[in-house]
Amino acid sequence: MRQSSVISRRVAAAAVSLVLASGAAACAGPEDTGAKGGTAGKAAAGTPQKGGTLTVLNSEAQTDFDPARLYTSGGGNVPSLVFRTLTTRNREAGAAGSKVVPDLATDIGRPNKDATEWTYTLKEGLKFEDGTPITSADIKYGIERSFAAELSGGAPYLRDWLVGGDTYEGPFKDKKGLASVVTPDDRTIVFKLKKPEGEFPFVATQTQFTPVPKAKDTGAKYEEHPVSSGPYKVVKNENDGERLTLERNEHWDPKTDEERKAYPDKIDVRSGLDEAVINQRLATSSGADSAAVTTDTNLGPAELAQVGSDKALAARVGTGHFGFTNYLAFNPKVKPFDNLKVRQAISYAVNRTSVVNAAGGSALAEPATTFLPEQKSFGFTPYDHFPAGKTGNPEKAKQLLKEAGFPNGLTVTLLHSTAQNRATSPEIATAVQEALGKAGITVKLDGQEPNSFNEKRWSVKDAPGFFLSRWGADWPAGGPFLAPIFDGRQIVTNGSNYNHAQLNDPAVNKEIDEINKLTDLQAAAGRWGALDKKIGEKALDVPLFHPVYKRLVGKDIKNVVISDWTGVLDISQVAVK
Amino acid sequence: MTALTGTPLADPSAPVAGTPATGAARQAWRRLRTRPAALVSAGVLLLLVLLAVAAPLLAALEGQDAYAYHDDLVDSARGGVPYGSFGGASADHWLGVEPGTGRDLFVRLLYGARISLLVAVGATAVQIALGVAIGLAAGLGSRWVDGLLGRITDVLVALPMLVLAIALTAVVPRDFPRPLLLILVIGLLGWAGTSRIVRAQTLTLKSLDFVAASRLAGSGRWRTARRELLPALAAPVITYAAILVPTNMVVEASLSFLGVGVTPPTPSWGQMLSTAQTWFRADPAYVLLPAGLLFVTVLAFTVLGDAVRTALDPREASRLRVGTRKENSR
Repeated sequence: MRQSSVISRRVAAAAVSLVLASGAAACAGPEDTGAKGGTAGKAAAGTPQKGGTLTVLNSEAQTDFDPARLYTSGGGNVPSLVFRTLTTRNREAGAAGSKVVPDLATDIGRPNKDATEWTYTLKEGLKFEDGTPITSADIKYGIERSFAAELSGGAPYLRDWLVGGDTYEGPFKDKKGLASVVTPDDRTIVFKLKKPEGEFPFVATQTQFTPVPKAKDTGAKYEEHPVSSGPYKVVKNENDGERLTLERNEHWDPKTDEERKAYPDKIDVRSGLDEAVINQRLATSSGADSAAVTTDTNLGPAELAQVGSDKALAARVGTGHFGFTNYLAFNPKVKPFDNLKVRQAISYAVNRTSVVNAAGGSALAEPATTFLPEQKSFGFTPYDHFPAGKTGNPEKAKQLLKEAGFPNGLTVTLLHSTAQNRATSPEIATAVQEALGKAGITVKLDGQEPNSFNEKRWSVKDAPGFFLSRWGADWPAGGPFLAPIFDGRQIVTNGSNYNHAQLNDPAVNKEIDEINKLTDLQAAAGRWGALDKKIGEKALDVPLFHPVYKRLVGKDIKNVVISDWTGVLDISQVAVK
Repeated sequence: MTALTGTPLADPSAPVAGTPATGAARQAWRRLRTRPAALVSAGVLLLLVLLAVAAPLLAALEGQDAYAYHDDLVDSARGGVPYGSFGGASADHWLGVEPGTGRDLFVRLLYGARISLLVAVGATAVQIALGVAIGLAAGLGSRWVDGLLGRITDVLVALPMLVLAIALTAVVPRDFPRPLLLILVIGLLGWAGTSRIVRAQTLTLKSLDFVAASRLAGSGRWRTARRELLPALAAPVITYAAILVPTNMVVEASLSFLGVGVTPPTPSWGQMLSTAQTWFRADPAYVLLPAGLLFVTVLAFTVLGDAVRTALDPREASRLRVGTRKENSR
């Protein structure tokens, strides 16, 4: 029977994932729960040594292995082993990991007075994998080629910020180059921006700031063998990043790089694996898998239920946070969500305990009442304008509905996706539906497959009044978190719009501009937090939860570092001996 | 389901009293009665139907409903696994609760049975109706009609049904009632087998004397089909229907499993299996209950279908008749 084969394949995958538990003793006790901040597993004990081969088991292939085409810094992922950037993440576990530190440059950047001009000086002794020195011109060239249409994929910030960035077409079409990136000498590079951007050092961590030698650039084919500036070079790249072999780059000088530890001699990346299979292989840790990690797979709720009862396995689980918020979005252009009281009623009615359970339980999600993630670097300022308590306040919601003119309750439609992501998925939607039902709000569910779901929620014209959405940060600061969602000038009418509420409040826009001028990141963080709290009063969304990541590593893995920048295991810190 | 436990076997031939079909049906029913496996299967199916029909009553008896969340019954820190043994089974929740939500499994299984049985039987009815109509038309029609219908059937057989069903269920507006949509999609895509059997049977029957006699006596093509062919086709069609029902049940489960079946929070066995698959070790009860029920139901239908086929098969019949007589003579 054709139809049964589909089930059997999925069930087989499930069965494999369950073997994960086979080693689990039945002794009870949820030890590994709720520890905040990136906690490295206890397996990290013992002094890490150089040598050995690290295996990386991933589900997604490392496609587009070209610094121009990667989105954001790649965090702890494979690219940061090969590509060095002007600045980088501080490679430490937990909140300390959300700081920017120098990488190729001597500092995180020197701004002029109004933060429209940023100057960097390169360290001495920097070399490419072929031994040629890295100059500021190589960095300028790397940035310029990221503007080429054929090398698309990077974040939009340089295009938006650099003077002339919106019209520049890349070095293949425009040989003159980008005038707003200046290299007065081989070690100095200056960026001229259209407007003040105090968070420029964060953007300088992105792979577009990787040096690319012009002579070795092969355009779209560069990704097959990008020239390394980091501790490893690409030896083999099969099937567009499905199987990668990295070996030491002899010309990388650890004295110039305080961040990357580079313990293993060789790194073997295998992707295209089923997530359940990855976790099962890491749990079993037989053969090469004992020295294996994953940089893109999380433990699921059922796997966590098993790990919780096995101390040895629980010790190999690391916890990570990433600035991310899952929320209920309103489009006040659609009735009845134009009514503040209706939005407030829904805010009161939501049961965050059910929602957190639907997202995988308290080990995988933290209830959220603020739009900003609960991290200092974002400027997290606690607030709960419409206290729903742990399980919702249907009475208060009913009262507000009455005041809003709906004494007999109302019926609304909630758009969600059918993707099994425990974020915008049916489980979350039904948890919301159930809680709102208690307050007299009948929720009809409109589940759409992921593409049409995204098309709808990102459209200014077709966005429904009420839907599940989520937002993650490109770097751990308030700017990339709040501006795309609440800046009225970022309402995109003919493309992907993230300002779901279509808020265009001059006071909010002005405050965003003011904060962007600050180069004191701490002061800026405080202002972002205050702005978040103020916008929260408008009930333009209902924050639901912030995800938490649980990462399992092989039994021989040492020095597990998971930072709050991405919540991903930092592959540059891992040792296998 | 009672339809397949016996009585309706006589139904198709009832209007044509006096034809040999009545006698054959009666004999078949007598033979069927002597097979314990068939009777047990029929009993199981009857029980399931009763349970599904009585779902609201049983839910009231347990004091639970299919949609209420019980956050306090699941261990949030451990991925939402139910507290207690056997999936949190207790006096309040007879078969435990669903991980993550704490919804009552007993009631969800009962309501799930409604969807699974309704869709499977409904889709089978559509498949049989279409299959018989098209098969008869092909068997009785001109060569041109037969050729055209034959090619259409071939194309349908060649189409990957599940993929097409997913595509169809995806484009239909969300407001359209899902169980009906599933019945239509599975029904419209799955009549090819029936139509082939009916066409082959029709071609054989057409050349038999009683059909020829009917034609010679002046019956039109459709009158012949109705009066002579349909009663004679009843046996193979009923047999095939009994095999189609479990197949359709699995198709419904697959579609719900893949997220294009019934919409949440409506329970169906396929949807339950889909969410349960990762929980096999952590909460075996959650997987075993819907899987076990689906298994038992499909097995019961298959055994019953097989028994009906044997009972209606004239070759098997002659062998069995000896045994029956012995029993009668005792």
